[in-house]
Amino acid sequence: MNKMLVVENLNLSFGGIKAVDQVHFYINENELLGLIGPNGAGKTTVFNMVSGFYNPDSGSIKLNGSEIQSLSPDQINKSGIARTFQNIRLFGKLSVLENVLIAIQQTEKLGWFESLFRTQKYINKEKALKNHCLDLLRIFSLDHLANEQACNLSYGLQRKLEIVRALATKPKLLILDEPAAGMNHQETEDLKKLIYFIKEKFKLTVLLIEHDMKLVMSICDRLVVLNRGCKIAEGTPQEIKTNETVIEAYLGKRSHH
Amino acid sequence: MKNKKIIFLISFVAIGVICHLFLNSYIQALVITFMINAIMALSLNFITGVANQFSLGQAGFMALGAYTSAVLTKEFLGDVWYVIPVTALAGACVSAAAGFLVSLPSFKLKGDYLAIVTMGFAEIVRVILLNWNHVGGPRGYNAIAKWPEFILSYAATGSYLIITFIVLYHLKISWFGRNLWAINEDEIAAEVMGTAVAKNKRAAFLVSSFFAGLGGALYGHHLGYISPGSFSFLMSVQILIYAVFGGLGSMSGSVLSAFILTALPEVLRSLPTGGLDLRMIIFPVLLIIMMILRPEGLLGRRELFASKEGSHE
Repeated sequence: MNKMLVVENLNLSFGGIKAVDQVHFYINENELLGLIGPNGAGKTTVFNMVSGFYNPDSGSIKLNGSEIQSLSPDQINKSGIARTFQNIRLFGKLSVLENVLIAIQQTEKLGWFESLFRTQKYINKEKALKNHCLDLLRIFSLDHLANEQACNLSYGLQRKLEIVRALATKPKLLILDEPAAGMNHQETEDLKKLIYFIKEKFKLTVLLIEHDMKLVMSICDRLVVLNRGCKIAEGTPQEIKTNETVIEAYLGKRSHH
Repeated sequence: MKNKKIIFLISFVAIGVICHLFLNSYIQALVITFMINAIMALSLNFITGVANQFSLGQAGFMALGAYTSAVLTKEFLGDVWYVIPVTALAGACVSAAAGFLVSLPSFKLKGDYLAIVTMGFAEIVRVILLNWNHVGGPRGYNAIAKWPEFILSYAATGSYLIITFIVLYHLKISWFGRNLWAINEDEIAAEVMGTAVAKNKRAAFLVSSFFAGLGGALYGHHLGYISPGSFSFLMSVQILIYAVFGGLGSMSGSVLSAFILTALPEVLRSLPTGGLDLRMIIFPVLLIIMMILRPEGLLGRRELFASKEGSHE
């Protein structure tokens, strides 16, 4: 199988704290990989390095063979990685349509002069983009809310919109940062279906960070477990469930009387 | 749509002709002052209202435009009025270059911090001009080419106001304006969506300082005299008042508020207050009432017209 993202010997320290220590993992094309670990394990730090917010001290991140660890977040997005945020970051005062439009217009070349003079060609282009956005929203049955302000949406719908917005940048790899955070059982079930759906529909590779073990165990193809900045295990959900080191990291050492 | 444009153009010409033939030079000067104020308000509104980068240095850009254009006409081009439209553009370009330079170190700053940097920039420009004897130093720069007739001044300044309005309004409603709005809402999210944040912010600064320089150049040729004192901090604040009063983010609001705030002190001047100069009390009181009743300005982010084309004075 083709390895899409390869992370090798990643290191990052904040002052004296080694947040990420020699972490290495890979994601196959069309795979759903889960990245898990207890609080403070370094999941989000790894995430932020993959999406370009932190530069690693050493190590490499390769997307389809080319190194991306020194690129800025917008360049990383253009190279094919989109992400969502643990605490939803929509453009609250903009409409649902505009949220998607901003993402989609970055993939398109809209010239300065055309927009200055507002030529017919530009107006048509913009119309086409808006229709494209509506099509995308329709797939997720959000199109009836297109003109609603994003901050007025319910929590679950805001999550959904954030995923739609990420998809609008036409990514090959989608990174979801704790998408089930703050969701009830029913919403988590819907999210599960949604993740399956987008993975098939858009032929995506998905990297998932999640606390909800039930969700992770039921949908991920493979898991990577971090603890205190180091990778401690890797394997299928079944293997991870029975892995002594993982259980120890989560629950502490078994005491022997 | 076509009709509206034609009606607007006809009324623009008609107002000019009426002012030229029937009104005294006091009113004529006020009309030009209003137009220059409107250009300045628009330029600030773009950087502060649309791009949400708080600038208090608009007077500095204005000074650069004014001095560049004045020196060009007087020293190199024979002090004739018909080169003014071109030298004004040159002044605008110099100001835009300065705006770009200012944006390089400051694109990571926001709010008050950016305001301090831009304010510092304007002060630097003012102090350099103050100590530069070749352009008059503190005495100011005298006898700059002026428009011989009101109608010429009206046509040139008015055309530049219309161009400024159309350009900035089109940018506001285009992809660029949307990018800036997204950056304003959530910089990190915008970046992750593929928006080049620094590039967009720099471009916004460039555009804004270009038009501030243009307004400054027209200001110099309108008065025929400029001095470093004309471009003090107070001028920046005055421009800021215009933009905030009209509504940050509303282009037509800026033009409207430039009109109201240019006319109001003059209207108040004629109030029978028995020798007391009450207008400088009434004016700020009106502004304070406005701040309490409509903190978002006259129009907020909206525009005066619902359709997509046309501008009005």
